[in-house]
Amino acid sequence: MKSLMINTPRTYNRPNIKSSAKLLIPALLASALGLSSMPVMAFDLQGTLKGAIEKEMPATDTSQTQAPDSTANDNTAANKTSEPEINWKNPSKEEEIALGREIAGNLLGAAPLVKDETLQKYVNSVGRWVASQSERPDLPWHFGVIESEDINAFAAPGGYIMLTKGLYRKLTNEAQLAGVLGHEIGHIVKKHQLKVLQKQQLLNMGAGFLSDKYAKDNKLISKAIGTGAEISARSLDKSAEFEADRLGLSYAARAGYEPYGLPEVLQTIGQTNKNDNSVALLFKTHPHPDDRLVALGDAIGNRLDSIKDGKTLENRFYKLKN
Amino acid sequence: MKLKATLIATCLLSALYGQTALAAEAGTALKNDTLRKEPYADSKTAGSFTRGENLQILKKQGAWLQVKTKKSTGWVRLLSVKRGTSSSGNQAAGALAVASGRAGTGQVVSTTGVRGLNEEELKAAKFNEIEINKMESYTLSPDDGRRFADAGNLKPIKFANLKAAKGEK
Repeated sequence: MKSLMINTPRTYNRPNIKSSAKLLIPALLASALGLSSMPVMAFDLQGTLKGAIEKEMPATDTSQTQAPDSTANDNTAANKTSEPEINWKNPSKEEEIALGREIAGNLLGAAPLVKDETLQKYVNSVGRWVASQSERPDLPWHFGVIESEDINAFAAPGGYIMLTKGLYRKLTNEAQLAGVLGHEIGHIVKKHQLKVLQKQQLLNMGAGFLSDKYAKDNKLISKAIGTGAEISARSLDKSAEFEADRLGLSYAARAGYEPYGLPEVLQTIGQTNKNDNSVALLFKTHPHPDDRLVALGDAIGNRLDSIKDGKTLENRFYKLKN
Repeated sequence: MKLKATLIATCLLSALYGQTALAAEAGTALKNDTLRKEPYADSKTAGSFTRGENLQILKKQGAWLQVKTKKSTGWVRLLSVKRGTSSSGNQAAGALAVASGRAGTGQVVSTTGVRGLNEEELKAAKFNEIEINKMESYTLSPDDGRRFADAGNLKPIKFANLKAAKGEK
């Protein structure tokens, strides 16, 4: 165990950690380990962790009772070094970006970028401009359209945003694209995914500390998470989705776009047959588009009445080649 | 040539999304709301509808839709109405279920679509260094973004972030 200290994240001595240092010293070891064996444990996330964290999500700090079972595969791919080390208690911007890169890279492993440079550049242009209206304009924002006929979009911490070709196909103007990207930018600004990962990670650390056998044989760690793309299949709080809708619309409006772009897309998605495979994951992980429209409409009230010159820019909206 | 195609597309789109009359598209009320005689919040009341009610969308003007219910015709805010009935075609009776927002939640069957980005695929995905590098290679600077905005004559405006309506989180 001791040799692992080398891997302890550098932020390990931060004052805010001191109070719970007892818990966190072993915990941070777990985190270093956890990340280093990431690719393997990605296979074993579903049952234990997901269940545990879903139960934990609404509560703020119940922790520790959900010790994951330790039976399943423990293929410790221990010596990988490329994965980021994260101070889970209080990740820095750099750590956030490193984590996001890992998740985005895994997602791209499931669905590569559409091979259309003009498209990718166009989406980055719109996204960059919208992101500049957000509270975190300083992040290095990256956008990509991925090769999938699903209708979905994903955000990973630190500024990585992907939308599927299937969703892009449903868009008819730039204001709609701005709204969709704005929603994902909102998730990143509010660190929605990062918070889920943090909770989950700290939870597992706690479990490991309480139970010696987990700490001893690392089996806990094979359950730990989780920079796998699987995080993208997980639901956030409903309120996080509504919040991202409000922020996405607000950013697009500030950017000079017609603010109804995002609601229009929600309208379109809402008309897709819920049994259609292309929306299975989206519908599973998000509130129904109708509920989102109502929530957004209530938040808007008369706030948009004075906005007159928003642009839709369908004339320069990039059309897919196929 | 490209320009021509773009123009044609633009015409089609403005026909779809502009302020032109829609061919009495079917719609569904997403919430209880009041109809107005004109497309303004302080206009006189012209009736009302209740959540889930079917209606006809006659016209769009800015953020307002002119709709026709069984009893009356009037203007209502865009987001009080959902376009279309349930979903394209094969679910004629589903409008109310969808409008109530209950369809689609909790009963989505786990699927293993061929091209779908399902959970299994996401779980099994391996980090792709080449693709992430490529994605990062497209990254633009704030100045790039501004130039792009200028080219489209996009004018940034002041607009405070929307807050959750009362009673919602």
